[in-house]
Amino acid sequence: MNKKIMELDSIEVWDGNMAAAQALRQADVDVVAAYPITPSTPTVENYAGFHANGYVDGEFVMVESEHAAMSACVGAAAAGGRVATATSSQGFALMIEVLYQASGMRTPITLMQVNRALAAPLNVNGDHSDMYLGRDSGWINTCAFSPQEVYDLTLCSFKIGEHLDVRLPVIVNQDGFMCSHTAQNVMTLDDKTANDFVGEYKVVNSMLDFSKPVTFGVQTEENWHFEHKAKQHDALMNSAKVIDEIFAEFEKLTGRKYNRVESYKMDDAEVAIVALGTTYESAQLAADEMRKEGIKAGVVAPRVIRPFPLEEIASALQNVKAIACMDRSAPGGTVGMLYNEICGALFNTSARPVVSNIIYGLGGRDMTINELCNIYKELDKDAKSGKRNGALQRFVGVRGPALNYYNI
Amino acid sequence: MSNQKEIKNLKSFSTAAERFEGAHVLCPGCAHSIIVREILNATNDNLVVSAATGCLEVCTAIYPHTSWDCSWIHIGFENASTAVAGAESMYKALKSKGRLPKGTVEPKFVAFGGDGATYDIGFQWLSGCFERGHDMMYVCLDNEVYANTGGQRSSSTPIGASATTSPAGSTSYGEKKNKKDMLAIMAAHGAPYVAQVAPNKWKDMVKKIQRGLDTKGPVYINAMSACTTEWKFAPHQTIDASELAVDSLVFPLYEIIDGKELNITYRPKNIVPVRDYLAFQPRFKHLFTPQYEYLIDEWQKRVDANWEYLQRREEARV
Amino acid sequence: MKLNRGCDMSTKSIKDMGWDELIIGASVYSFNGEIDYNPADVLPENRDYAETNSKTAYVGDWRVYKPVWNSDLCIDCQNCWIFCPDTSIISRDKKMVGVDYDHCKGCGICVEVCPTNPKSLLMFAEQIKNEDALTQWPEKTKGK
Repeated sequence: MNKKIMELDSIEVWDGNMAAAQALRQADVDVVAAYPITPSTPTVENYAGFHANGYVDGEFVMVESEHAAMSACVGAAAAGGRVATATSSQGFALMIEVLYQASGMRTPITLMQVNRALAAPLNVNGDHSDMYLGRDSGWINTCAFSPQEVYDLTLCSFKIGEHLDVRLPVIVNQDGFMCSHTAQNVMTLDDKTANDFVGEYKVVNSMLDFSKPVTFGVQTEENWHFEHKAKQHDALMNSAKVIDEIFAEFEKLTGRKYNRVESYKMDDAEVAIVALGTTYESAQLAADEMRKEGIKAGVVAPRVIRPFPLEEIASALQNVKAIACMDRSAPGGTVGMLYNEICGALFNTSARPVVSNIIYGLGGRDMTINELCNIYKELDKDAKSGKRNGALQRFVGVRGPALNYYNI
Repeated sequence: MSNQKEIKNLKSFSTAAERFEGAHVLCPGCAHSIIVREILNATNDNLVVSAATGCLEVCTAIYPHTSWDCSWIHIGFENASTAVAGAESMYKALKSKGRLPKGTVEPKFVAFGGDGATYDIGFQWLSGCFERGHDMMYVCLDNEVYANTGGQRSSSTPIGASATTSPAGSTSYGEKKNKKDMLAIMAAHGAPYVAQVAPNKWKDMVKKIQRGLDTKGPVYINAMSACTTEWKFAPHQTIDASELAVDSLVFPLYEIIDGKELNITYRPKNIVPVRDYLAFQPRFKHLFTPQYEYLIDEWQKRVDANWEYLQRREEARV
Repeated sequence: MKLNRGCDMSTKSIKDMGWDELIIGASVYSFNGEIDYNPADVLPENRDYAETNSKTAYVGDWRVYKPVWNSDLCIDCQNCWIFCPDTSIISRDKKMVGVDYDHCKGCGICVEVCPTNPKSLLMFAEQIKNEDALTQWPEKTKGK
């Protein structure tokens, strides 16, 4: 725990960036190596402020690029301590190769990812392009939808990643601006309670342990590579168990329960939206509106997208008749990730809802409650007719002629 | 007062307990391994070593073997410097928090990178580390090409050298640009110590390595690494090639302290014509044709001018 | 603080291990167990090398020619020791001991840098026995 304690109110008004910075502070990170990029910059700035005022005992290194930030994080993690950084969009894209190197080398690191559109065109606002870019990088990927969740999931991230059965780096995603720059009430833990929850860093294969010189980052030929990637995959897949344990522990401590798949009014839902980020909360309000009109609407959001909760998602969506998978990322010539993952999950069950894919909200384009209600109304039509009443993929919220793809 | 062990002569040097093991898969005659052995044998300090993607890394850490008797990390091509910088930051953090194993002696952080990793793709990372002033040493193993992938040109490839992506041909004499002056660049970062070394001059190398390890802050060492495979001389001639390189003053051995004091550390008794240095290496053989032989004179003029410059700076103490 | 190695510390050979038994992150240890010494202070013969240290590996089959050492002529100058790229010239107590033929790749640098006349190291075809090679040693060369 840092020597200097910061007295917090039990409820603070924080935006997502401050929530992130405070959680990092309370976690007593040993090395933060970072680079500024909108909209994650305030996380780093807030942390720098804490450091400059003596609230952080660890090292704070402002490096010369995001690739260098992640490289320094890996070097620091291999030297046996707690490590974190923050970035978005272009910065995340720049550090992509190091993300794969970090997970391959099994170095726990927490990355606060404030989701932002990827250029071109250049856009600093919130969408999930960067989140989707990193999905195969071997990191545990968690999603926070509000500043409270940013705070909570960040504290959990260290415990999850550093767990001896896991030893993997963890991303905590949050929507750029919509979450990172929107202040809300955050129920806090005091420094000691938060730090006790996160716990002491567990050292595994440290370069600073001179009783056991260790080589990190070897080259593997075709006779060894597969075994190591298999082992890594196995750890990532099995981390789901650890995530559940830690979420349970967190609930015991705070009363706030996180699930690898979050659902809203799904018990009797006939139509459902699957979405990530702040859209989850907006969709809840739209679902409430729809229920007033007699449409049994529900919402599902994967809280953890890697390891993908395939079984839990399938279970949550078993009884619905129509689903809209809403992807906030430019799909790059195919259906969106959520569409693919949800269909893949459901295909191995007897459920055969009508599923469509909606591309929305790119570059921070607002997704209104009104539009979400319209989406529910379309789903209702699909549910009642038992088939899709339009193309498989459509864009919502774009000016100009309608964009519809795949009429299968 | 040095913290390093005293190495009076080659016989006493030979009592060093090797920390770089054989059965790595570097080429027979590879200068990289001669340099790494000299460096690791020059100190008894605990070491945290990194290497950039390249010959050294690929050939000494090929699963399931490691040739390193110390902690070692390879992350990628650009970031050998940042890897040890990160480890150095962690060391500082853990030390101040009292979390290092009891009795831990301060280690030295040493990064290795080829010229491709250093002059080109890792240049920004190296610059960042030096600007931030990490307590580390960066050793560039300079064989003037991307050797590990078959000898493509880098910004260290000298004018007139034939590399696979700047090959000599009927309308080209090979590499068109001259080498970047990495020592000047790193000295301009305010590095407390930068130096050029060559494996044949082991005593000069050991002195500089020891001084570098004793120096607080970032230290840059440019190590001339004559590559038998890419410079295309025979494997047993590596030290001969190194002698020609330093005696012709193509690779002058000097150091710069605090960016201001330049000291030439080796003055050849008999300066060898650059022509002899070039003639020794088939990567320059096209220069010995009527079409391109003017370049040999230009080479000599350039080397002479550089030697003159070094001597003047040494005298002027700037 | 108890340190975890992220793997099973059994004595099984790595060649026989499945993915589940390998050390995480494809990390490799230099030595067996924990060492309580600085390797720089301990000669290689007194270290407990892990099978994953390349020291235990063999590259002798790279050679077509091998260096043969003539101890009668050697002056222990250590040129061969310092310039060997493969840590294959073994020197102890400031004296040449011999060639590590498991690690020698036959590059010939040791012969090239040997200052005696005739040289104390010469290359011979791999199949020639060392004791036979020693009987074929050339005489001192004049001039040069």
